[in-house]
Amino acid sequence: MSMFRNKKLDLGGFINGKIIRDHTKRRVFEANEVERQALRYVIRNTSLPQRARAQAQLQLAQMHAYTRSTQIKNRCVAGGVARSVFRDFRLGRYQFREQALAGELPGVRKASW
Amino acid sequence: MATQYSRVLELAKVQCRIFSLNFNPEKLRLGNKILRQRLRGPSLSAWYPKKTVSFRDLQATYKPLGLTMFDEGEDDREEAIQIAKLRGKGRPKKKRTAAESRSAKKKK
Repeated sequence: MSMFRNKKLDLGGFINGKIIRDHTKRRVFEANEVERQALRYVIRNTSLPQRARAQAQLQLAQMHAYTRSTQIKNRCVAGGVARSVFRDFRLGRYQFREQALAGELPGVRKASW
Repeated sequence: MATQYSRVLELAKVQCRIFSLNFNPEKLRLGNKILRQRLRGPSLSAWYPKKTVSFRDLQATYKPLGLTMFDEGEDDREEAIQIAKLRGKGRPKKKRTAAESRSAKKKK
């Protein structure tokens, strides 16, 4: 959503629209995480009045979709691909292969036996 | 000799105080597991590499001080423009007023 987007781009490296969108979601989630956790605590706490818990449930449900962590998708840092991304290297499988064969990933070598 | 249940409870209470845990012998659902979770935001938002200082940034910061650097790309561009102008292939002059732009259309 454009209202959440940074006025000035604060990303380096490979950039495309989907990466900007995902980065925006990450930032929005970070900004709203404490509020979400507080609401989740109120909802789970059975010692609080039922009315307060129901209100917290509603409030949590009405928060913007971008404040949800499930909206975040790990994307390849070098190509923006969303599928088969290695979490340790933050790279898609093809970028991983290319960089590994070029010797740009320390400690990675082609298996041979 | 069996220990008294009240003694066990007291021990648990002291344990909880020392290790700053929640003393909850009735096992009520108080949602404390959510307070115990660490915040994931900082690590999640650090996924993509941050912007670093670029050549353009350096140029922009030193330009007000009158310090200019050699920019090969810019140099090439200006040279190409000069060559195009000599061949008569330069850009047309910008039409500043409505009257100018109208007369330019009529000529065609």
